[in-house]
Amino acid sequence: MILDRLAREVEALIFASDTPLSVEQLCEYTGSGEDSVQQALDRLNNAFLDQQHALIIIEVAGGFRIATDKDFGSIVSQLFEGRKPGKLSRASLETLAVIAYSQPCTRMAIDSIRGVNCDSAIRTLLERDMIRISGRMETPGRPLLYSTTRVFLEYFGLNDLDHLPRSEEIAELLCMSSSEMEEKDLFGVADEE
Amino acid sequence: MLSNSCRIQLPSFEGPLDLLLYLIRRDEIDIYDIPMAHVADQYLEYIRDAQEMNLDIASEYLVMAATLTRMKSKSLLPIHRIDGEEEEDPGAELRRQLILYRTFREIAKELHRSEETWTDIYTSTGERDRWSIGNTAVEPGQTSLLDLLRALDNLSEGEIEPPTQRIQRKLLTITECIQTLEKTFHTGDMVSFRSVVGQKPTRAKIVSYFIAILELIRRGWISFHQAYPFSEIELKRTERWTVDS
Repeated sequence: MILDRLAREVEALIFASDTPLSVEQLCEYTGSGEDSVQQALDRLNNAFLDQQHALIIIEVAGGFRIATDKDFGSIVSQLFEGRKPGKLSRASLETLAVIAYSQPCTRMAIDSIRGVNCDSAIRTLLERDMIRISGRMETPGRPLLYSTTRVFLEYFGLNDLDHLPRSEEIAELLCMSSSEMEEKDLFGVADEE
Repeated sequence: MLSNSCRIQLPSFEGPLDLLLYLIRRDEIDIYDIPMAHVADQYLEYIRDAQEMNLDIASEYLVMAATLTRMKSKSLLPIHRIDGEEEEDPGAELRRQLILYRTFREIAKELHRSEETWTDIYTSTGERDRWSIGNTAVEPGQTSLLDLLRALDNLSEGEIEPPTQRIQRKLLTITECIQTLEKTFHTGDMVSFRSVVGQKPTRAKIVSYFIAILELIRRGWISFHQAYPFSEIELKRTERWTVDS
């Protein structure tokens, strides 16, 4: 399969870019319409597949990136031995989940949902750039507000915050008072494990 | 009856809500009909077990223990219902917390699964830039407070010249304030605090005079009157000032 000019332009742009490129950006740089860019992306990925490349174009954090196939994860990881941070702890993941859905939010709000003090988890997440301080709440004490970052989206392969799992359901849940919750039989649904 | 034969092997919990959800699951309890006495007992038993093993129990666990004990005692007392007044169900708030926490616990698991998947995927740039030794140039607006604090941490203290400028501060002692008041303030005079400190007073002057006046009030040398909080303070010199001094 011989790739056309547009597909190769898209490939070059995505390869060289330091941030994920959105369809709009690709349209702007190539001077093409959205449909032709989308199709060019499909042709590129097909070419990668056909020729059994270890690369693939993925959509993450609102844009496209060239990435290695996950089958090569362990071999590639050798490049970053000692530099790549470990996986996040359960406390960090829970804290991050709360922040992701209720951002911007205060430490108090996170603590009250998790029922424990989340100081150290917040510190870890800040250090790993998963979250950032996005301002202060204009209430007594002016507590800091935390929001998630682009690094967070990329780390979990999310396109944007709307792609968080069950985002509408949880947004609704967060606004509910205890009596409203009583009316809906919420505890029955989604029984895990 | 719910069996107690299975002792908790003290798995690690992410807090009291996590532990409660575990107990509720283990004993197959209906969340809308929590047998308060039973759950409170189970919870307290866990806390005691943990204490016996000399584990540090975080204060959050003890707060929940207190809440559960209170709910248990309430559930055992007869309910006095006043007509037209809906008694608030103390369990409702706990259920809300449990539902919310359980939801986020599930989400955390989903995030963990995504993390597992994405940890094996490497992009041409992105995340790994952050792990390299020489970091890339910083664009305006991309630095956070944390970056600045990190940079500050990296500076060795020896490189920072200690400031040498001396700032002279005019000291105003409480004694001086009292002496000034003594001269300008006569027995029977009514003076407002505002006029004592004069026009455009410095913060130090206000504080010094305020303390001086508190001292004079303590000695009983002046009396004061203030109509309502933050309103003007009216001061009056008493006979005792002259007599005592």
